Order: sequence, then structure tokens, then C-alpha cells
Amino acid sequence: MMPGTNDSPAWLIVMQREIVARVMNKAYLFGLLVTVLLIAGIAGFFAWQSQQVDTYDVAVTAGDDAAATAVEQAAAELGEDGGELTVREVANADAARAALEDETADVWLSSGPDGWTLAGWREPDGSLTRLLTPVVERVTVTERAEALGTSFDELAAGGDLVTERLDGGAVDPGVVQFASFALAFLFFMSAIGSGQMIAASVVEEKQSRLVEIIASAVPLRDVLAGKVLGNSVIALAQNLLFATVGVVGLALTDFKAAVPAMTASLGWFVVFFTVGFVAVAAMYAMAGALASRLEDLQGTTAPMGVVLMAVYLTTFGADGTLERVLSFVPVTSIVSMPVRVLSGDAGWWEPVVALVLLAAFAAGVVLVSERAYRRALLQTGGRVGWRQALRAG
Amino acid sequence: MSTAHQGGDLEVRSLVRIFGTGDGAVRAVDDVSFRAPAGRLTGFVGGNGAGKTSTMRMMMGVLAPTSGETLFEGRPITAADRRAFGYMPEERGLYPKQPVLDQLVYLGRLRGVPAPAARAEILGHLERLGLADRAKDHVEKLSLGNQQRVQIIAALMGSPRALILDEPFSGLDPAAVDGMADLLREHTARGVPVLFSSHQLDLVERLCERLVILRRGEVVADGTPAELATRGTVRHRLVLSGDAGWVRSVPGVRAIDVDGPVALLEMSDDGAGRRLLHSALERGDVREFCPVRPSLTEIYREVAA
Repeated sequence: MMPGTNDSPAWLIVMQREIVARVMNKAYLFGLLVTVLLIAGIAGFFAWQSQQVDTYDVAVTAGDDAAATAVEQAAAELGEDGGELTVREVANADAARAALEDETADVWLSSGPDGWTLAGWREPDGSLTRLLTPVVERVTVTERAEALGTSFDELAAGGDLVTERLDGGAVDPGVVQFASFALAFLFFMSAIGSGQMIAASVVEEKQSRLVEIIASAVPLRDVLAGKVLGNSVIALAQNLLFATVGVVGLALTDFKAAVPAMTASLGWFVVFFTVGFVAVAAMYAMAGALASRLEDLQGTTAPMGVVLMAVYLTTFGADGTLERVLSFVPVTSIVSMPVRVLSGDAGWWEPVVALVLLAAFAAGVVLVSERAYRRALLQTGGRVGWRQALRAG
Repeated sequence: MSTAHQGGDLEVRSLVRIFGTGDGAVRAVDDVSFRAPAGRLTGFVGGNGAGKTSTMRMMMGVLAPTSGETLFEGRPITAADRRAFGYMPEERGLYPKQPVLDQLVYLGRLRGVPAPAARAEILGHLERLGLADRAKDHVEKLSLGNQQRVQIIAALMGSPRALILDEPFSGLDPAAVDGMADLLREHTARGVPVLFSSHQLDLVERLCERLVILRRGEVVADGTPAELATRGTVRHRLVLSGDAGWVRSVPGVRAIDVDGPVALLEMSDDGAGRRLLHSALERGDVREFCPVRPSLTEIYREVAA
């Protein structure tokens, strides 16, 4: 029991407490669960939507063979994408109108000497119209081609338009856009959420004067190190969890082709976020030290909120040169570089350079924050100004 | 007792702390020097804003002194010394959402006590203070008195080499005060210095072997309660058979209060006493003539007013 026969270094003891206290915090666990469910829910929604089968009942009047053929061809085409088109034969035009009115048919397709008509009780469904337009055209052309002794295929030969992508990227631009939104949002929520928790834990110790007991036992530098590392470990674990749920969810959707690229991008994001979070954590710890009561926190953490919000707003919409610049600037690089990796736009060295810049920035922020944290933490009575805390060590 | 002098004296020399700068500067602690000897319970008394808390914070190294120093065992105090001290800050609290045992083990480990040893000692203390069944409760569920018991355990565990306690008795009921006083005496018996501040003078008078009184940042009295009592102005009580109104006219005697045959007097010299008694015996019987020792409260009012 002799003091001085220590079992672990102080920073490790502090780090352990931070992690244990957080894992035992019911409010935190609830928030975590809500976020996981939210991510799973979004993935689930896309998966459900991609499996959704549209069914249409198309009325065709008896004897209108051209229309019946067109619907059959359209149904065959739709079958590949998983849709359903059913022909509902009606006696005449009046019966077709009646079918539309009582909703036994969605649309009525009819051919005539003056052209084709797709009628609905209301405006016919847009995607059905887009589906039927080329089919109707083809049926018409086929009929005339046969009359002229040739065939549709002969006439149409060489008229196909094939799309081709030259940058070699395998990822749909829509996926990249969605990913940039998702990563920016994930960054913003995690940084603000975890940051506020650190600030609250610092001010809790300051307000209760526990910090005086702690400061008389171990150097405050070790306390800050333990807090920053403990919270960074939590943030890392949390983001790995979110990323895993996100990737598993993605694999269940139409975007499953993007999973390998997305996994690489998320891997970079997790690495960038973890390094960047060290800086965010140190700044929030400083903000906590500046407050003297929990009520002051809103004021002292406001500057960080503004910075993180700015990162969020600039990164999720950025592209072109702006995105390239942001992908190297510390803090915004956490979001922009992984997005560029995903779009296949970044060379292998680019994330490495951005990561080194981010690490250097984080180290600088930690040094400055550590000084302010020590200065402000033991000051009692009222809020301490940012400038006052940063001025002299 | 072989362990009687295990600890060393705790001493501050010319401690000064100025808050603010320029015209707004306040000398919260102004050239404070005193000693809290090993194995003694030293009471630290003073009104609000007298500088007790600032002095204790400087001794614990959580407030930087403007000038002056703290000594332990006769040499400048080190961080390692302070790590082995038990400290109880004012306006204290604990982690509200952490179980009692867990946070005491945490604070013990920070002070260098390995977790198993800390756990065993804490459970012993909790048992003794009647909190054994609350070890796993969150601190926020405890009454304020029980929270204070937990805080004192935080200061006492790990066989501290000195104890610096800011208002350890505030808010405790008389039985709890006695229990805590017994605990503190166990530590002075080990030979460590114990310095505690208090507003409750009767308590300090009853418990303390030494007393330091602070007023507006300055030490105005320092010694054992008996020493302080003789240092205070000694008054005399005179009871006569007849009216005592005439004592006002005796040279060298100041009448503080005269009520019929009873007078409370202050004498400027021994000759005044002789003259007074001589006159009194000429006029009738002297029923009582004795010195009146001031109580600590009176001394305190006198020096700290």
C-alpha cells in the first residue's frame, strides 16, 4: 500500500476510466443504438426499394393487335428488370374507359391510323410512358418494314448507342455523391457528439474540484493524454461499427458493385478520422477547461461547433479543384480525401500526404490545447477567455 | 510509540498570492507563514475570504503562489510528496454517475495505490463509515452527508503522509463529526501532520492541538489553544458587598461593565490591581476577584474582527 508502487502509468489509468465511464453511460449507448438503426434503416430502405416490383394493368381493346403486341414486348423487356405488365382485354373503347375509372386498369393503350394513345384516368405513369414509347415506335416501324419487304433489325442496324467510361473508375457518380454526403454527416455527428462528451467530462471534474485531487496526484498533461486517447479509441470503435453496418447494408442494395471501392474509402475515412479526432478531442478538452460550470459549455464550445459545421457544409458539396484543395487541408481532408479515393480520382500518394499534414496539424493543436488546458483548468470563478488561456504558458 | 514520528512537519513560509493586476489587484494571501507539525491536528480558522482556501490550494500545488514556498520535512515540497498527501478541496464533488467503489479505486490508483490494495482499504473504510452496502451505488444516489464520507475516504486512503482538508466537517451531524475526528486522530497518531480549515470554532477548540487564525490574508494568531488564550487580553471579575460604581474612578483601571456589585475590568498594570483591591477592602468585603480567560470565540472575534 505504499504510495509510489504504481501498477500503471497515469495516462493509462485515465484512459481506462474514460472508456469504462462511456461504455456504462446509458445515454451514450442509446444514442449509439439510434445511429446504428438509422444507418441500417437507410440501407434497408434502399435494398427494399431496389427489389420493389412495379405492376401495371394495361387495357387493350379487342382486335387492337398492334397494341396487344406492344404490351407483350414491353412486358418481356420489363421482365429483365423485374416488373410486371398484364394485358387486360376489354370489349371496346367504352369498356376501356370504364376500366380506367374503376381502376381495374392503370392505362389504356390503343393504336389507330392517326397514331397511338396511352390514356389514363389521370396522367399516365411516367416510367410506364418511358417504357412504352420506344416499344410502340418499334412495333410501328416493324409493321411498315414488313410492308416494304425488310425488317426492323435491318433498318435499325448500326443505330445503337453504347455508353463508355474512360477514367477507369468503376463507381457510379451517384454513389460518390451519396458517400460524400454520408461521410461528411458521419464526421460531423461523431466529432460534435464525442467532442461534447469530452468537454462535459472535463468540466465535470473542474466543477466538482475533482481536478484538484487529480492534479495534486498526477501531471495534468497525463490526464489530458488519457482523455484524448480514451475518447479517440471510443470514436474509432464507433466509426468502425458504423462503417461495418454501412458496408453490410450497401451489399444488400443495387449498389453492391461499389462495396470494394466503398470499403477502401471507408478504411481511409476511419484512419483520417482517428488522426483528426485527436485534434478535435484536444480542442474540446480545452473548451471544457475554459468553462467553470456545465452551463458555460455552450459558449466555450461554440467556436468548435462553427468550424465543424463549416467542414461539413464545404465538404459534402465540393467537387473539382475545391475538392482537390479540401482533400489536403487538415480537418476537411478527413471527408474529402476518402471521397476522392472512392471516385478513383486520387493517386496512391495523395491520401498519404494528406494524412501526414493532418497528423502534423493534430500534433500542433494538442500542444497548444495542452497548455491552455493546464492554465484554465485550475482557475476558479467564471469562464476563462480563449485568448487569456492561450496567451502565456 | 515507534511510529509516532513517521511523518514530517508541513510548513509555509512567506506565502503570497495576488489575484488580478493593477488597481484591481487583491492580496488574497499576504505573507503567510506557519507550521503544521507532524502528529498534530492543526486547525485553520478565518472568515470568508480570509485566504484559507487559497493557502491550502497553494500548499497542494493547484494554485501557483505569487511568492513564498511550502516545505515538507524541512525541504521544499515536491510533486512526489504531494502525490502521497490526502487532499479534500472545498466545494467538492465526485463523478455523479460512477459507482462509489470504482471512483475511489480510480483516485487511489492515480495516487499510486495498486487497484487490489486500494479496493481492500476502501471497503474497510466504507464498512467503518456504514456505507458498505452502497459500494456499487452511483454517487448521485447518496445523501450529501454520505457523499462527504466518500470524499473523506478519497483523502484518507493509501496511508497519506500529510492531510490537507478544506472544511471537512461542514454539513456533518455531531455524531459524524466525532467519527471523522476519530479517523483524523488515527492519522496524527501515525505521526502525520493534519491541517484542516473550519468555520466551527467550538469544534476547532475541542479537536485541535494547534490553531492558525487568518484574517484578510494575514496570520493574526498561531499557537496551541492555551497559548492563544493567554495571549488574549485578560480581564478581571470583581464582586463586592456593595455597589461597584466607584471603580470607574480608580486610575489605571478600565471598567468594561459594571452591574450593581459586579464589575468586569481591564487593568493597565499590576499597580492598578493593588490600588483597586486596597480601595475595595476599605469600602467593604471583596467576595470575588479573579482573572477571566477569554474563550476561543472571543479571541477569534478580537483578532479576526
